Amino acid sequence: MTSKAVLDAANLSGWLSTLQATAPLMAPVKRGRVSFAFSWIEDPADVRLDYVRTVLPPKQALLPSRENLLTVTRSPLEATPQIADKPFILFGVHPCDLTAINQLDWAMGKRNNVEDPFYVARRRAATIVALDCMPDKYCFCASVGSCATRDGADLFLTPIAAGYLAEALTDKGAALLAKAKSRAPKPEELTEAEGFAQKKVRRTTLRLDEEVANLPKLFEQRHDSEVWEKTALRCYSCGTCTNVCPTCFCFDVREIADLTLDAASRWRQYDSCQFLEFAVVAGGHNFRRERTDRVRHRWFRKFVYLNQEHGQAFCVGCGRCSQQCTAGISLVDVANSVIAEAKERVA
Amino acid sequence: MTATFVRSFPPRSGERLYAPEPATIVRTKQLTELERLFEIKFADGRDLGHQPGQFVQVSVFGYGEAPISVSSSPAKRGSFELCVRNMGGLTAALHRLDEGDRVGIRGPFGNGFPMSCMRKMDCLMIAGGIGMAPLRSVINTVLADRNAYGRLIVLYGSKTPKEILFRDEIETWTGGKKNEILLTVDNAAPGWDGNVGVVTTLFPKIKVNPKAVAAALVGPPVMYRFVLAELNALRVPDNQIFLSLERRMKCGMGKCGHCQIDNRCVCIDGPVFTAEESKHLHESL
Repeated sequence: MTSKAVLDAANLSGWLSTLQATAPLMAPVKRGRVSFAFSWIEDPADVRLDYVRTVLPPKQALLPSRENLLTVTRSPLEATPQIADKPFILFGVHPCDLTAINQLDWAMGKRNNVEDPFYVARRRAATIVALDCMPDKYCFCASVGSCATRDGADLFLTPIAAGYLAEALTDKGAALLAKAKSRAPKPEELTEAEGFAQKKVRRTTLRLDEEVANLPKLFEQRHDSEVWEKTALRCYSCGTCTNVCPTCFCFDVREIADLTLDAASRWRQYDSCQFLEFAVVAGGHNFRRERTDRVRHRWFRKFVYLNQEHGQAFCVGCGRCSQQCTAGISLVDVANSVIAEAKERVA
Repeated sequence: MTATFVRSFPPRSGERLYAPEPATIVRTKQLTELERLFEIKFADGRDLGHQPGQFVQVSVFGYGEAPISVSSSPAKRGSFELCVRNMGGLTAALHRLDEGDRVGIRGPFGNGFPMSCMRKMDCLMIAGGIGMAPLRSVINTVLADRNAYGRLIVLYGSKTPKEILFRDEIETWTGGKKNEILLTVDNAAPGWDGNVGVVTTLFPKIKVNPKAVAAALVGPPVMYRFVLAELNALRVPDNQIFLSLERRMKCGMGKCGHCQIDNRCVCIDGPVFTAEESKHLHESL
């Protein structure tokens, strides 16, 4: 089902206020001088839809950086899952991040035939309003197939001169749109919205130099490339890249006892394959002690392993890791160096 | 022979996937200075339902979870055994628990050794150190259905004689012509008149028919390369060699990413891999 309507700019804040009254609302806000962040909204006037990218991806609404999985009592020894299934609205998600959510739906939901109950409950409780965007110099969504994603969204907004062209993609989305003061689109507004999508592709100039489907083969050929070692020489293993990544989902689980020692809670939090301790086993043996191995693992996981398993790169071209890398390492530059080496050898 | 691993699990879902099930320690036995055996029973007395080589996640209140391989054979009904080395943290806390105390259990996880592939074959079991803990589950499975298998050859290396696990029990394995149990220690001590040297020094003492043998290896990371070289020299085909690879399994369900070897999750695709599979994994050995 698709129903299209125009939301005039002047009616946006009224709509957001209405939405916020129905369910908790997470949307982008301005943070500091130049940054944006997804945040739970208290004042709808804070919502900013003119952002390019947020520091952290909207993944946090579905897979929080830290969450309580279980409360545990000591006597009797019992564990109670803490499922969060309260409906909420995730507003203003760009197509790249929406693609990432679809990939997490698979990784946390279907992969290995196991449904993560915490992720799945949050995902079911979410209504997602996506928002199309224009790229900056870090974006490369066009070359990883994520710049026009609509699947996974309930409602899709495209910026037009008058405000937004809204398309309801699900019943949940239609219900949200029904709460807005909207009007039927003029034919030229539909054309304008189509033009937006085309302009977006034209403006996305940063690219991977090879089709995603061919990357596993090329990367495998360059498993022992010096590029990994050279990248490792610059990398600090700080984990920023994985923390800001919309598709990374590795986590650690820890139990923390209350001071009374009568109860404890079991938490999971983001972990990073870039950390030295990530693959350490009891007794201290580290299966990825060399930074080169950890760096390679990150690119292989994104472009080889999960790409082969799911048929899609686990990178959506959002540009966060490259923009925020402490050492200024560009994910695209590294990938393209490896691609160039592989092609050179074949030629 | 094609290894048929248990690798397609029924779909798992539900709120309690991460919640351990309470179980009671019904017996403990100090095996060595560092290792202790825990016999564990669920409240309803049900079987764990595991395969030899699988592991469980053991919860100790206030400490969290640790992956421990099951040391008893599925032939043992109503309870199961875990052989745990005191490594500090959770395992130290576990060692402080006693009979009647409760722990939490999730699992069993992983594929386990492909016992159906080992039937009718000569079983060559090679253990180093605490690798004997999971291998004991395989050995006792063979012993419980002795005529279904060919010869049983166990090569077991320990650092010193006092670190040999299940010493009393090992003596009971030696009965019968079909069983050959060979022990070695890296460093001898007074009273030890057996072999001295790493586990590979036992290979000249055995004769195997490479076509009819299935080999199972569990030990420290350094052991695999050397033992594989010996098995290759004996011309044992790579798809008749089964390695249990240790990694840091956290969730047990292929989600958390910790136990990954290249593109494989040890908690789902392993911990047991054929040497053939392992050859194609850069990070395996």
